[in-house]
Formats: sequence, C-alpha cells, structure tokens
Amino acid sequence: MRPQTDLLNNIIVAEGLGKAVTAGDKTLHILSAINLIIKSGESIAIVGESGSGKSTLISLLAGLDTPSTGHIFFKGQDLTAMDEDGRAAVRSQSVGFVFQSFQLLQGLTALENVMLPLELNGDPQAKPKAEHLLERVGLAQRMAHTPKQLSGGEQQRVALARAFATRPALLFADEPTGNLDSKTGATIVDLLFELNQENHTTLILVTHDHSLAARCQRTIRLSAGEQV
Amino acid sequence: MNRFSLALRLLWRDSRSGELTILLLALVIAVTSSTAIALFSDRLQRTMTNQTAEFLAADLVVTSSNTMPESWAEKSGQLHLARAQTVEFTSVLIEHEEMLLASIKAVTSNYPLRGQLKTTTADYAQETATPQGPPAGEVWVEKRILPALKLQLGDTLTVGELPLTVTRIITYEPDKQGDFYSFSPRVMMNAADLPATRIIQPGSHVHYFFQFIGATQDLLTFNQWLKPQLNPSQRLMDIHNDRPELGSALDRAERYLGLSSTLVIIISGVAIAMATRRYTERHFDNTALLRCLGCKQNEILWLYGSQFIVLGVVASGLGCLLGWFAQEGLFLLLKDLLPKRLAAPGLPAVMFGFAIGLAVLLGFALPPLLRLKQVSPLRVLRRELEPLPASAWLVYGLALGMVGLLVWQYTDDLPMTATLLGVGASGVLVLGLLVFALLTALRHLPLASLGWRFGLQGLARNRQASISQILAFSLTLVAMILSFTVRNDLLDNWQQQLPDNAPNHFALNIFPQQQAGFAEELAQQHISGSQFYPVVRGRLVEINNIPVQKRVSKDSQGDAATHRELSLTWTETLPDENKITDGQWWADGKAGWVSVEQKLADSLKIKIGDVLTFTVGSEQFTATVASLRSLRWDTMKPNFYMIFSKGTLDAFPSTYLTSFYLSRTEKNRLNALVKKYPNTTIMEVDAILQQFKTIITQLTQAINYLLYFALMAGFTVLFAAVYATLDSRIYEGALMRTLGANRGLLRKNQMVEFGALGFISGVVAVLVSEAVVFALYTRVMNMAYQPNFYVCLLVPVIGAVGVGVTGCWGLRGVLDKAPLTVLRKG
Repeated sequence: MRPQTDLLNNIIVAEGLGKAVTAGDKTLHILSAINLIIKSGESIAIVGESGSGKSTLISLLAGLDTPSTGHIFFKGQDLTAMDEDGRAAVRSQSVGFVFQSFQLLQGLTALENVMLPLELNGDPQAKPKAEHLLERVGLAQRMAHTPKQLSGGEQQRVALARAFATRPALLFADEPTGNLDSKTGATIVDLLFELNQENHTTLILVTHDHSLAARCQRTIRLSAGEQV
Repeated sequence: MNRFSLALRLLWRDSRSGELTILLLALVIAVTSSTAIALFSDRLQRTMTNQTAEFLAADLVVTSSNTMPESWAEKSGQLHLARAQTVEFTSVLIEHEEMLLASIKAVTSNYPLRGQLKTTTADYAQETATPQGPPAGEVWVEKRILPALKLQLGDTLTVGELPLTVTRIITYEPDKQGDFYSFSPRVMMNAADLPATRIIQPGSHVHYFFQFIGATQDLLTFNQWLKPQLNPSQRLMDIHNDRPELGSALDRAERYLGLSSTLVIIISGVAIAMATRRYTERHFDNTALLRCLGCKQNEILWLYGSQFIVLGVVASGLGCLLGWFAQEGLFLLLKDLLPKRLAAPGLPAVMFGFAIGLAVLLGFALPPLLRLKQVSPLRVLRRELEPLPASAWLVYGLALGMVGLLVWQYTDDLPMTATLLGVGASGVLVLGLLVFALLTALRHLPLASLGWRFGLQGLARNRQASISQILAFSLTLVAMILSFTVRNDLLDNWQQQLPDNAPNHFALNIFPQQQAGFAEELAQQHISGSQFYPVVRGRLVEINNIPVQKRVSKDSQGDAATHRELSLTWTETLPDENKITDGQWWADGKAGWVSVEQKLADSLKIKIGDVLTFTVGSEQFTATVASLRSLRWDTMKPNFYMIFSKGTLDAFPSTYLTSFYLSRTEKNRLNALVKKYPNTTIMEVDAILQQFKTIITQLTQAINYLLYFALMAGFTVLFAAVYATLDSRIYEGALMRTLGANRGLLRKNQMVEFGALGFISGVVAVLVSEAVVFALYTRVMNMAYQPNFYVCLLVPVIGAVGVGVTGCWGLRGVLDKAPLTVLRKG
C-alpha cells in the first residue's frame, strides 16, 4: 500500500496500529488496525466519543506510549523501534503539546515554563525566544507570574507559547478549549491557528467540538477503537 | 455493617499505601528505643532496689573516713545489734616485678551480715557461697589480679609490709558498687591483719563502712540516736530510705540514653505527623462521600480513629518485642560498668514502652487526623473545599507537651527540663530559619545546568518538608559527631597536650615523717618531681554560715566538689602556673586565710572576704577567702581547689602528695620506692586514662547505639516526605517527559535534590557540632579547640550520598508511569 517515499514525504505514517491492555485474563483492545498518513503542514482533527481511543492514539503518535501492534514512522524514522530516551529526544526537537488542563509546572513562572522545552533542547537563546513568544501571545506583562496567579485563558496562552517555543514540526492539541468558557476558548483557538500558520506546523487536534474540527483540513473519526 | 469491621477493612486496603507503612515503621522505631531504655533503667533500678540489703551487706551502714567512735559500739551493743566493719582503700601491689593498683578491702570476720560472698578455687562454674570473708593470714582476690601479678592460688601476695597467702578467687561480692572505684581489682583481707600492713596511719585516705543488723525497732532507735551525731563526711544508709547509688558514669549514661531516645521519638514523631497528614489529605474525598451518605462527624472520627488505634497497638506490640532484644544489646555494650547480676526484665517497663507508642501516636497523629472530622459533605460537588488546617497550637502544643513529659521523666529535674525544652525549641527555630534562608538562596542560584536547577528548586519548593528532613538528619548527625569527636578528642588531645616530661605519676599518702626520705629517694634515682604538698581531707560545708548545698545547682562543678571530700593544702608561696585573679596572696603568714580556685568560686558564687566553713572528720574550722586563683589542670602537677595559709590546718593529721615523671623504661624504679614506702599510693596517669577511655568508649557506644535508631527515624521522615510529594512528582515527571526530557535528566534532578538535602544536613550538622565542641572545649573543658577537618569534609559527603541514594530509591517507580495517563487525570 505504501511506496518507500511516503515515509519521507509524510510527517507521520502509521500502519496497523493497535493497543491492547491485559487485565487479569481478559484482553481489552483499545485501538485496532489504525492506518494513517499525515502530510507535513496538514491540520487534522481526531473526533470520537469518550473512550473511543482518541487519547491512546495521540499518545502513540507522540511517542509517549508504545503500540501493541503496528509501526509509526515519524519523518521516516520508526518510533516504535526507539527506546524511551530516543523518543524523548524526538519529542524535545519536533513535538509540541497543548492540553485541556494546561499542564504548566506550578513551581515555575510563565517565562520559565516557556523556556523549559528550549532548555531541554539545549538552546542558548531560551530566554529571548521565550520572552518573544510570551509577547506574541499577549502576556508581556505577566512573565514573572506563576500559573496560580494566572487565569485559565492566560494559562492556556502560556501553554501555547510553550508548545510553539521549539518551533516543532508537529503539534498535538488535546481538547485545548475544554476547560475554558466559549469566548476565551474562541480566542485561544484563533491564536492556535495563527501560530500554526506562522510556524508551518502540522497540527493534530483532539476535540469534541464540531466547529473546531471543521477548521481543520481533515477529520479522523474513531469509534470503539477503530477508524470509521 | 459493623463499623469496626469497616474500619479494619479500610485499614487493610490502605495498609499497602506508602504512608501507613511509614507511620508503622516510625512508630515501631520510637517504641523499640523507648522500650529498650525503659527496660534498661528498670532493670538497673530494680537490681539496686530489690537487693538493697544485699548491696549494703547489712540493714544499716554508715560510711566514714574515720574509725568508729567507741560510743557507737556501746550503743549498738545495748540495742543488741550485730555489727561488722569493712575498710576500703587503694594500694599498689608488686609481685614478680609487676605492679598493680588494687582496691583493698579489709573485712571483720562476721562480714557480710546480709547476703553472701561467692568464691571459687577453679573457675566460675564451681563457685561456692561463703558466709564469711577470708580468715587472718589469707587474701581472696578478683581473678584478674592473678595474671596481672603472675600469681597462682597458694602464692604469697604482700599487702603493705605483710605477706598473705592467696587462697580463693572472689566471683561475687554483695556490697560492691559498680562505679569507677571498682575498676581497680579487688583484694579482700581480714581486718585483723590490717595493722601489720602498716598502710593505714592518721591522715590516710580510706573509707570505713560500719555495718549493722538487728530488729527493725532497734535499728530505728539506733538510727534516730545516730543521725544527729554524724559529721558531714559521714553518711548513713539504711534499707528503707536508701539504696546504693548507681555509679555516676552509669547515672549519666542512663540520662543521656533517655535523652537520645527522646530525640528518636521527636524525629519519629515528625515522620508520623507527615505521614498522617498525607493520609488525611488522601481521604478527604472518601470522607466527603461518607458524610454525604449521612455519616456523622463523630462516626467519621471513630472510623479513622479506630484504624489508628489498631495501627498503634500493632506497632507498639512489635516495638516492645524489638525493644526487648534491643536492651540486651545495651547491656552487652555496658557490661563492664554494670553489676554482674541483674534483675530480670520487668513487664511494667514493657508496658511503659507500649504506652509511649500510643502517646506518640496521639501526640503527633491526632491533630492532622482531626481535620477529617471537619471535611464538608459539599466537597462532593466542590472539590476545592478543604477543611481548615489543624491549629498550630494544637499541633505543637501537644507534641511539645509530650516531649516535655518524656524529658522530665528522664532527667527527673524540672528546671533542667524547662531549659532543655526552651533551648531545644529555640535552637530548632533558629536552625529552621537558617535552613529556610539557605533554601531560598538556592532557589535563586543562577545555574546553567537544568538538572541542578530543577533539583535545587524541588528542594526549595517543598520548603517545609525539606526543613523537617534537614533538621531531622542534622540533629541526629550532630549527636553522632559530638559523641564521636568528644570521645576521641577528650582522651587523645589531652594526652597530646601534656608537655613532654609532664608528671605521669602521683604519689599520695606519704606520711610527714617519710617526706624527706621520699624526696631524697627521688633525687637519688634522678627522678624529677614537683613540690611536696601537705594534704588534709576535708569538706566544704558552709559559705558565710549558709549550708553550701543551698548554693549549688545540680551537676555543676560546685555540686561535684561539695559532695565529696576535697584535698586541702597549705603553702606560703603561690604554686607555679597558679595566677591570682582577684584579691591578694597572703604576705603576712597569718593563719585563717584561704585561696579558692576561680571556676569553683564562680560556681559557688564565692567572693573575697567570704567565710568558708570546712569539716575534717568531726572537727570544724573556718577560713576567710583572701584570693581567687586560676590554674592549669592539664599540667598534671598537684592542683588544689583550696589552698590555706600556713598554720590554718595544723590541728589535723596530714599526708604529703607529689607528682613526678617516669618514662616507660624507668617504671621498674617504682618497685623499690613502693617496697620502701608501702603505705604510699602510686597512681599511674596512663593507667587511669586508659580506664577512663574504657568507660567513655562504652558509654558513647551505648549512646551511638540509640542514635542509630534516630538515624533510622530520620530516614522515615525522608520517606514520609517523599510519599507526601509522590503525586506531584509523578505528575511533573510525566510532564517533563512529554516535553522531551529524558529519564537521565529526571534522575539527575532527583539525585541533586536528595543529594543536596543530605549535603545541607551534613553541613548544618558540622556547623552546629563544631560550635558546640568549640564552646565545650574552651568554656568547660579548658582544651584547645581544633576544627576536625576530617569530620567537616566527610559528614556532608556521607549525608549527600546516603540521603541521595535512599531518596532516589524511594522514587524509583515514579518514571515508569505512562505520561499521558497521568496528565489526563490532572
């Protein structure tokens, strides 16, 4: 089904992806037989009911977890053949995340949170780059604040700044507006798509929100662990 | 459902959660150490109390430094009391070119009146009880005398000028007191032989024990008749009011051990409080649900309270069992200082350990646990609703009150307890602030390495927990460093600081008529000696007509000096190395003046012009303070607390005292000297130091033994802190990994965090202990202080490695959780 060149032209190629967990003597199939090809710069929405396997799919695609069956190629490299530290290196260089519940480190200031992925990459310009990004998301005045001192919308902006800090090739957004009111949510979504375009990032977005899904170029629907 | 069975079931489910294991462990450690100490003290005390009559070897005993007045014998005869007498003194024995300082005891033939002597002619297995001491012409000796003097049973042993035959080995002596004195091995002879030894002459330093038995009423009459006649150097002991005191070394050991075990309890208590807090917080949701389902506040309290009681009972039971074994270890470590036969371990002491367990749990776990009662059922809907934190008054008040009671129990001294608590609490507060400042500074350290920065920030972020851990470790380390350093320095430094050729022998009990001859003998043998000082044994009893006991505080220098007889001397010229610090040295040569050593004067608040009353035997005399002197005790020349002007002490019999230096190769010259002057006691400084070394080594070993418990308790605090932050660590680890951090970096964070924790504890411990040692050496012991670089470097490194490795071990599973699962929950 796939010519070899696909592996290099497409940012993600997933083949026969499956994830099963065993509890006692029962095996539960969370995902099965997922095949995906995602091109560079594409924006994709993953939709589906609760428990349909959306989160499992993105943890596999992001290399946070390993599949039970199948392979994932990231820019032609087989993620499933790498160890945890190899995958961590890929994440630090090429992957960004935005979460529903922001997931900022409570002990760090907004600036330090944004600097973190840059520093993990060993970037000597971490501070000016992070400052620039915070200015870009409109938080120039709040850099020294800790997450507790920021509103939900502000926290998600910090998270956006952090996600784009390393200019990742691939960005995963997991229900980015789920914890925000609709007005703030809309602002965050606008900002997300703006940054996405500025950075030519591939966006993979998990959402329940159909209007949000409609803003993506393609939608992948999951039901009971299978692609429909 | 039966509520108690619900509680048990919940407890069983929770028992696999980390914090209850920590709590159990901390409680077991606390109970083990306090049971061990309780059993140890109890056995010692009961050994003393139960066998008082046997320890006194009579029903009533008077100790005195003089022979018994005739009137006492008459009165006791009228009351039909049986009486015996023993005389104890030290003397140097020489046989086959070997010398030994022995403790001689001359007994009348009806000794002991109570209890029995046990002796053997072969080994301990064949000992026989003997109702009487040795007959005239014979000596019985402690076993170690024989190899030391190359003797065998049947050989002749010369005591003073009298040769006696060694016939039996003493294996047990009822009235032998387990103190320093007993370090000189025993030689027992018949009192009838005593005059022929020609050792005892007026002024000799000897202890008489007059022993009586009889009907209770007669003894009481005798007691009442006798008491008013006693002079301050005499002491009456009877089986109803007195028991022999533990040797002062053991007495102190008991107290230090008690205080060390309080340290164990405090540190365990911190771990218990931390673990309970985490337990409580983890149960807010369940409790809210139970409340929502209709559980009343008191039912909630009972539900959790009963679980803790079960836990307390299990832990205390286990601790008691372990404590039972642990006390055997203590007895083993201190065996040379203890009486040979001990009372069996008693159940009340075990119960005490058990009660301590429950009290510790109550004191440290109740305040956080009480918060569960306050959980609002509304939390089911609004998870952010948290009960108010436990009142600080309750938390610290309860804990401090409990620790106070314990310290009081161990010191039996209320002012000292208050001082210890006050100094302890403010010390902990100051140290806590210091560590707080240090952690704040660490947080702002501009470090390039991410691993270092995150590790140190982790430490600074959980500041409260970090401070508790650092204090727990550093206090334990301070106690360990102190007992280690003081033990080594005390002996080694002192010996090193002695100038070359400093006198290493003292000759005591030289009679006035022998003084010239003795000096000539020394000169002939080219032995350089110090001046000869006359010595009268006397006791300071009053200062300006007020009894001296009213001025002394327990355990002070003054206390020690007024509880025993002092060596009083007189001279016309101020001895070398004495400096007048106040008043003037007498120039007029009039009698009735005294010069007092500065530190003793400070301790007793003696000033120039004060009138001091002394007793010598049954006589009293007074002298006016003319000057205060500072002196150097470490010169090993004869030094005196009290020096009188000439003529003041003329009315009393005196002996002379001198000191001199002999190199190791010249020791055999002593033999000739001792043979010629058999009444003289030669004390070898090296031998005495060796004995002190043994005592101090055993004491510090016993204290260190308990400090290991404190160290274990410190680790439970560490684990409690680790468990308290486990959730947030798992979360942060997952987030960092999602952002691309590899495990190596996260492990480095952990290593840095815990390594720094251990390192800081070590540094704080070194700072505090060196400060204490400095104060102790310069203010109390008059020793030169030298920082111990070895300890200063080693302790922080050991702390860093030990705590670093243990902390990382406690967190070993944190990096294995799937990141997204963790983050989704958040």
